[in-house]
Amino acid sequence: MNAPLSSAPATAPEAWAINVDHVGKTFTLDGGKELKAIDDVDIKIGQGEFVALLGPSGCGKSTILRLVAALEDVSTGRVTVEGSNPTALSRAHRLGVAFQDHALLPWLTIRDNIALPYKVAGRPVDDKRIAELLALVGLSGFEKARPRQLSGGMRQRVSIARALVLKPDVLLLDEPFGALDAVTRRHMNVELQRIWSEQRITTLLVTHSVEEALFLADRVIVMSGRPGRIIKEIQVPFARPRSPDVQRTMEFHHLADELTLALEPEGHH
Amino acid sequence: MKMTAERWQSLTLGIVGIALFLAAWEAIGVNRLAGLTWPPLSAVFQFMFDPTKAQLFIRAMEASFSMVILGYVTGSVVGIALAGLVHVLPVVRPGMDRLASVIHAIPAIALAPLFIVLISREFTGMAIAALNVFFILYVSTTSGLNNSTAGHRDLFQVLGSSRTTRLLRLDLPAALPAVVSGMKYSVPAAFIGAILGEWFGSSRGLGLLMVSAMQNFQIPLLWSAVFIASTASLIVFGLMGLLEQFVYGRYK
Ligand SMILES: Nc1ncnc2c1ncn2[C@@H]1O[C@H](COP(=O)(O)OP(=O)(O)OP(=O)(O)O)[C@@H](O)[C@H]1O
Ligand SMILES: [Mg+2]
Repeated sequence: MNAPLSSAPATAPEAWAINVDHVGKTFTLDGGKELKAIDDVDIKIGQGEFVALLGPSGCGKSTILRLVAALEDVSTGRVTVEGSNPTALSRAHRLGVAFQDHALLPWLTIRDNIALPYKVAGRPVDDKRIAELLALVGLSGFEKARPRQLSGGMRQRVSIARALVLKPDVLLLDEPFGALDAVTRRHMNVELQRIWSEQRITTLLVTHSVEEALFLADRVIVMSGRPGRIIKEIQVPFARPRSPDVQRTMEFHHLADELTLALEPEGHH
Repeated sequence: MKMTAERWQSLTLGIVGIALFLAAWEAIGVNRLAGLTWPPLSAVFQFMFDPTKAQLFIRAMEASFSMVILGYVTGSVVGIALAGLVHVLPVVRPGMDRLASVIHAIPAIALAPLFIVLISREFTGMAIAALNVFFILYVSTTSGLNNSTAGHRDLFQVLGSSRTTRLLRLDLPAALPAVVSGMKYSVPAAFIGAILGEWFGSSRGLGLLMVSAMQNFQIPLLWSAVFIASTASLIVFGLMGLLEQFVYGRYK
């Protein structure tokens, strides 16, 4: 797999792992009113690149993820994943998604929830891999528990393990650490960085944390409020593997300030 | 299941309620407040547990309960299976819905003569029970199969699930609470159907006992038959209630 090189000249669209090509999405509300969620969003993600998406609540971040996951259809523009229609990826069981609301099945144990992608794909369940992932997200010993017995943050971590279990080619994470305390969140960031460095999965991460975006991503994209548009894009310069210490450097603080400023609504800075 | 203070309280209240009801029954009977046709509870029990009558009741119970079970199982299997079919083949759904409601709208009593000529007197009760149960389970299963949440449907789509896999691993488990509730509420319906069916000239069963006791003014016999049928229905209903609680705790 190539190293992420998003500054490379744009060749054929098929060169991109994820190509959100000038996409707009308009929802028709119950009353027949139209709501333009995103407008002319253009995001190109290279093979093995990690891109973070920042933006105010309701600006269409989840919508973009859902478009890439083939859960919604575009209104204008085009989305391709690895050169073809995004449905092809999920049909081939090569897409990993951790939803904003975890979506665990309440009647399955934690172990069975993580084993679900194997079952759906008709593959033998790899219990060693499940144990590894459970350890990774800090939930060893919870195999037999059921989702309702876990806290919100624990459920989110289970859903990340489930998204990773089949070693997907593309990983979509929608605020995966939103419900975690600061310490666990930092720990999860380090762990996610570690597995990502091992596997180099093409990843699109939605987050509200500027620090998380800078620590994890190769590139950070900032969106404006509704209708969502891209207003800023920065290349993250830190070499990998990144140690948590990188967050204490001047450069990190500088970039964080820059992103925070971009996130402030117009007229407030 | 944990016994919380609340649960103890409701259990105690339930027992007190039943005891009061039985005591009132006894008092009305002993004092003949409701005339000759209302015997004291003790007289009914005495009659019911009279060893010489045991054979009579056991044979009637065997006959009736086997019809209840047959009707219940047939109705459940057909109801759930057809609900599954219309879920997988949505084109046939409007037709099946209409058929089910038409069947439901016709009073079972009106169908009884048909069953007698079509099947046999002995199985008329079973057929009515099956029809009652069928309708309840068809309706509860079809609605239950749509109980999965949008988030879970999205999950199965991004996992690349086939329709069958989704049916087995998502739609059916999500439907289970509704199905079990349907199975609970169709218990009394199965008993009513089977025993009612026996009124139409069946040669065995609790329903026959009731009719002949009525005609021959054998009041304790009549009450015993009614008591047995109601108690059996209540017990099964209660057991299904326990199952329902368990399923709701796990699948919702
Ligand atoms: N299915 C839908 N029907 C109608 N409107 C929708 C639908 N999905 C999203 N929207 C609207 O589109 C806009 C963007 O929603 P989206 O969920 O993508 O925001 P978000 O950036 O993920 O917000 P948050 O950070 O709060 O999760 C919102 O205004 C939302 O109301
Ligand atoms: Mg969102």
